[in-house]
Amino acid sequence: CSLLPSHLLTFYLSTHSTAKYSMWSFLPRYLYLQFSKTANAFFLFITILQQIPDVSPTGKYTTLVPLLVILVISGIKEIVEDYILLLIVNVGDIVKATNGQFLPADMVLISSSEPQATCFVATSNLDGETNLKIRQALSETATMKTEKQLSNLSGKIKCEEPNFHFNSFAGTLYLNEKSPISIGPDQVLLRGTQLKNTEWILGIVVYTGFETKFMQNAVKSPLKRSKVEKVTNMQILVLFLLLLVMSLVSCVGAIYWKDRYRAEPWYIGKSGNFGFDLLVFIILYHNLIPISLLVTLEIVKYIQALFINWDEDMHFKGSNVYAMARTSNLNEELGQVEYLFSDKTGTLTCNVMTFKKCSIAGITYGKSENFCHLLSFLVTLLTHSCCVPFLQPTKEYIKEFLTLLCVCHTVVPERGNNINYQASSPDEAALVKGAKKLGFVFTTRMPNSVTIEAMGEELTFEILNVLEFSSNRKRMSIIVRTPEGRLRLYCKGADSVIYERLSENSLFVEETLVHLENFAKEGLRTLCVAYIDLTEIEYEQWLVMYKKAITVVKDRMKTLEDCYDSIEKKFLLLGATAIEDRLQARVPETITSLLKANIKIWVLTGDKQETAINIAYSCKLLSGQMPRIQLNIISSLFQATQQVISQNCQDLGALLGKENDLALIIDGKTLKYALHVEVRKCFLNLALSCRTVLCCRLSPLQKAEIVDVVKKQVKAITLAIGDGANDVGMIQTAHVGVGISGNEGMLATNNSDYAIAQFSYLEKLLLVHGAWNYFRVTKCILYCFYKNVVLYIIELWFAIVNGFSGQIIFERWCISLYNVIFTSLPPFTLGIFERCCSQESLLRYPQLYRISQTGDIFNIKVLWIQCINAIVHSFILFWLPAKMLEHGSNFIVFCYVVVTVCLKAGLETMSWNKFTHFAIWGSIMIWLGFFAVYSSLWPTVPVAPEMTGQGSMALVCPHFWLGFFIVPIVCLIQNVAWKSNTCHRTLLEEVREMESSGVQVLRRDSVQRWPMCPRWGGVLISVTRMFTVHIYLLTASPCFALSDGYAFSQVERAVISQEELVRSYDTTKNKPQKTFSSATLE
Amino acid sequence: MAMNYNAKDEVDGGPPCPPGGTAKTRRPDNTAFKQQRLPAWQPILTAGTVLPTFFIIGLIFIPIGIGIFVTSNNIREIEGNVFMYYGLSNFYQNHRRYVKSRDDGQLNGDPSALLNPSKECEPYRRNEDKPIAPCGAIANNTLELFQVGNASDLTPIPLKKKGIAWWTDKNVKFRNPPGTDPLEERFKGTTKPVNWVKPVYMLDSDEDNNGFINEDFIVWMRTAALPTFRKLYRLIERKNDLHPTLPAGRYYLNITYNYPVHSFDGRKRMILSTISWMGGKNPFLGIAYITIGSISFLLGVVLLVINHKYRNSSNTADITI
Repeated sequence: CSLLPSHLLTFYLSTHSTAKYSMWSFLPRYLYLQFSKTANAFFLFITILQQIPDVSPTGKYTTLVPLLVILVISGIKEIVEDYILLLIVNVGDIVKATNGQFLPADMVLISSSEPQATCFVATSNLDGETNLKIRQALSETATMKTEKQLSNLSGKIKCEEPNFHFNSFAGTLYLNEKSPISIGPDQVLLRGTQLKNTEWILGIVVYTGFETKFMQNAVKSPLKRSKVEKVTNMQILVLFLLLLVMSLVSCVGAIYWKDRYRAEPWYIGKSGNFGFDLLVFIILYHNLIPISLLVTLEIVKYIQALFINWDEDMHFKGSNVYAMARTSNLNEELGQVEYLFSDKTGTLTCNVMTFKKCSIAGITYGKSENFCHLLSFLVTLLTHSCCVPFLQPTKEYIKEFLTLLCVCHTVVPERGNNINYQASSPDEAALVKGAKKLGFVFTTRMPNSVTIEAMGEELTFEILNVLEFSSNRKRMSIIVRTPEGRLRLYCKGADSVIYERLSENSLFVEETLVHLENFAKEGLRTLCVAYIDLTEIEYEQWLVMYKKAITVVKDRMKTLEDCYDSIEKKFLLLGATAIEDRLQARVPETITSLLKANIKIWVLTGDKQETAINIAYSCKLLSGQMPRIQLNIISSLFQATQQVISQNCQDLGALLGKENDLALIIDGKTLKYALHVEVRKCFLNLALSCRTVLCCRLSPLQKAEIVDVVKKQVKAITLAIGDGANDVGMIQTAHVGVGISGNEGMLATNNSDYAIAQFSYLEKLLLVHGAWNYFRVTKCILYCFYKNVVLYIIELWFAIVNGFSGQIIFERWCISLYNVIFTSLPPFTLGIFERCCSQESLLRYPQLYRISQTGDIFNIKVLWIQCINAIVHSFILFWLPAKMLEHGSNFIVFCYVVVTVCLKAGLETMSWNKFTHFAIWGSIMIWLGFFAVYSSLWPTVPVAPEMTGQGSMALVCPHFWLGFFIVPIVCLIQNVAWKSNTCHRTLLEEVREMESSGVQVLRRDSVQRWPMCPRWGGVLISVTRMFTVHIYLLTASPCFALSDGYAFSQVERAVISQEELVRSYDTTKNKPQKTFSSATLE
Repeated sequence: MAMNYNAKDEVDGGPPCPPGGTAKTRRPDNTAFKQQRLPAWQPILTAGTVLPTFFIIGLIFIPIGIGIFVTSNNIREIEGNVFMYYGLSNFYQNHRRYVKSRDDGQLNGDPSALLNPSKECEPYRRNEDKPIAPCGAIANNTLELFQVGNASDLTPIPLKKKGIAWWTDKNVKFRNPPGTDPLEERFKGTTKPVNWVKPVYMLDSDEDNNGFINEDFIVWMRTAALPTFRKLYRLIERKNDLHPTLPAGRYYLNITYNYPVHSFDGRKRMILSTISWMGGKNPFLGIAYITIGSISFLLGVVLLVINHKYRNSSNTADITI
């Protein structure tokens, strides 16, 4: 394994063969993939049967040809989509990537432009982490930067089998005449990551295509199938059974027929046996299985997905992001959603933090909107003169408070015309930005110090230690040497942890607590800030301990945290900050609309209860008079949970199981017990009786678990929507997963089925696209079942008069082309253009969503009624012409079938556009044209001798035309009569009538005349009254809520610690072409 | 470096969300098609639209039906050209083994198929090592049926045996083997079907009605769709005077029984008929039209009554859905 000099950019690897994707193996892999689909396997089975001599009544190629067409088309698609991509880079290639590029394959870093051969990559596409990662090349290869050096490079790399672990890699580099060197994850750059802050890198490709970790992860997401699809697949199986039954009946018929004459009539040759006949009939009737349906549906759903992608109403102009259907399998499922599970942060809210209010030394600032003005006014007062006596005592506190906000963080300032702050924590960014507005500007970060401009005065703080944030600690501290030379520890964190550590001398404790409570009630995210002055001795002692701790190998994190803890005590409280997490646009309206559509909304959040409740209030999920049941167990006792839940269930009494105007609020700790097997059912009963459910403090796993429980127990369609890595579980678990393409990386989006930019787009996605797609897909399915049953049951009627011999009634290619050409267009127009009513009406009357939600227009019963209808039609279509045209030709029957089936599509269509007209009238014309042409081909073209002259005879025969008008009408008149049920008009019909009568703008008051749900009506009010008493009891019961609004987000356990991070920057130096994030680039 | 959150300096109350990291550059055209706003007609099946449809169908179909029925019944009088059919019952010309047992290439005059007929013809493909022409089961049991003659002492009625097959069959589908030799020469090397008395080139003295293009043969070869069928046999042309083609009187039909149908409970018939503008006599079509027209009319009346009865109550029901 040595490098050939001529192959400059090739490096030979000895591990695994890349032949997996070679030309030779593509075919078998592809064929395996295709024939593992049931439909194709069935096709293949029929094709093979047809090859047995003398069995097939339809010739040898009538199934083979369509099958080949399908295989070739999807083969080309496959090649275009995947195969071509794989050819771009090969394993062993040496690749050069420049700043900002997305890497095309997994590769081992050889060298880079940066000193020490390091480089930075953004991995948010992969794991959703927003922080940049450092990678470093091996020192042995770090010097190889020129082509000449690379051409002399030869050796091999051994690496592990492809896997999906992002953070692991094990390999060995064997350079010629050198001892082997091991390669770890620090040297590996993954496909899908983006090169940042690095001019260029060189790397050797080790995994390509499906072997890359990116693809290995992508493959893992579960394949979801919609309810409609499951029902359809099941019924196709039932049809298969019907096919077998029909074949068996026909075989028995054949035996009976032969028996009648003891032997067969002398003019017919000898016959086959029972088994032979069975095969004949299976081939004869096999088209009963609507194979074309599957192909049709795939195309239809693909176009439906395109409509979602194209929708301008779901186009977020702010970032130019369109909605994206990442799968087309679930289009119709969007029309059936009953339970909506929503994340809070980043989904209902923007995840843009704004420093709104604060409490300093017991006084709150920012009561009104113009918080900034007020505070800066105060600051100005402080600086210029201290003439306001009552402010005098708090002046120093305000200064200290703002200094803390400027110093105690891990934000990096980016110098431009304006200072841009780069932070991994949105909260910190908001605080630093807020401080800047108040005249305390954080300007420079150096490895060992930070510089701030406090009201024009430049101050430099030496950073001694960073005591990192973790969700366990709920706080972060920083030890600095102030410009005056004092040692000071600044800390910010959750009220609960800060209050525990307050010194007895701390002031404003009570006032600040009240303020915190108020902040939390407003839905603001709170942090407490405190400080402590350290003595040199204290610090020295601690430093010794700290140095010991950082060298510990085992449990270093725990040891470090203990070490931090030992110095974070006797705090002096400064005050508290309140950050607003703004609601996204139109969230309350969307939620109101979805509730009207009878969708139950559950909010699942990792955030605090109070914050969640407040967000729920502001987005109209909760209303003032809505009674609440809160389940919070302080003592982590299983029995207590059980008791509370069953108590609540009892209180509900007869209302249990019905939908009440109630809200249930539960936290993660309690939920753990509530989902315990014994209590689960009881809890679910309670939860399902409530209109709104809020679950707070949930772990990602719990989010997924709760979705799973509802999905399994209630058997309703669930939808989960979220934006962060912590929502991936529930997005994958729910029937439909929707990702918000927002700030928190791409992980949620990459695991979702549909990605939208704003929560409010959900309204259009569900109420319009969902409802439409449901109508479309179900009508398409029903219609495909109908048309196949109509045509192929005729074969059964014909078998009765031809002695069950298996003779086909129509010409063989006509039968094959029936689904491919003559009746192929109507299913497409139904599936693509069908519209129950306009978008505006669907949005205006969310109640219309119930039609698709309940699934009344598509279920097993409806499907079989349609099939029975088809059987009746086939009966009429065969026997009426048979009686009417005594000596007529059987091809005329085929004409009538095509006409009837096309007109039936017209009857099903609720909205005719130009394509619909073309499909329905066009199909009939195409058949007539084909009939005329096809019957004059023989003998010039060697097909269909039995068709010769049929066209010219039939098309001029008055009998043909008389039947042409009467037979379809006889079939369809019953359907028309059935459909035109004039006594009970549904809401949909009323809306449609209004639309067609030209009332474009419908009055709002007419909406209110339709109550949301008839069951509620007057009962609702009495329920509410009855419950106020209970609620009082409930909230006073063990449900105790600490009213703190603590929330803080920060990246934890990154490859580079927060301490390392702040040490690695010197923002005084100019770094050309360096950018910290893609957002800045744009 | 945990440096990806970009805290831009935005004004309070500014744009709701900062750009996501996934800006796409797809720019769909804002067309009616892509935004699903194509103009469309929304038919609504209400009393207003359905009732007139039912009445119109009724009003159109009933007269047509009566017209067809009357025309069909008038065919009784034997005027104009008279068509003579033979009919068979319980004869399964549509049986799979029977239908496929032919070689259309051979019948089209293809020389190679003539000497090497298709395998579909088995077991009537070869006889005594010679290819059968025409091969197959359909051809094997034909012809001998049609031996009709008149009583010797009566006036014979001229029966025209040409013009009974479809034009395309006679001129396109069925062709004798090519060549200018006498027909016998062109069929050299073949043998007659097992059940035939004469070889195919001796069916008629008329060169234009002999061999594969013999019209009796062609008519038989177009297999019937149902087990009870009739096929055109002869034409009795109307003479130039004003007399009926077949004036009232006694007619004799001489039939030789040499086609056994007893074994399969078959029946043979002979039918004489004239045809009108819409074909032969067939009362069923007229009755069908009348029936459907009446049903449609009746449905219209029923719906009208229902609609009238429930209309008032329905309005109130709508509001309380």
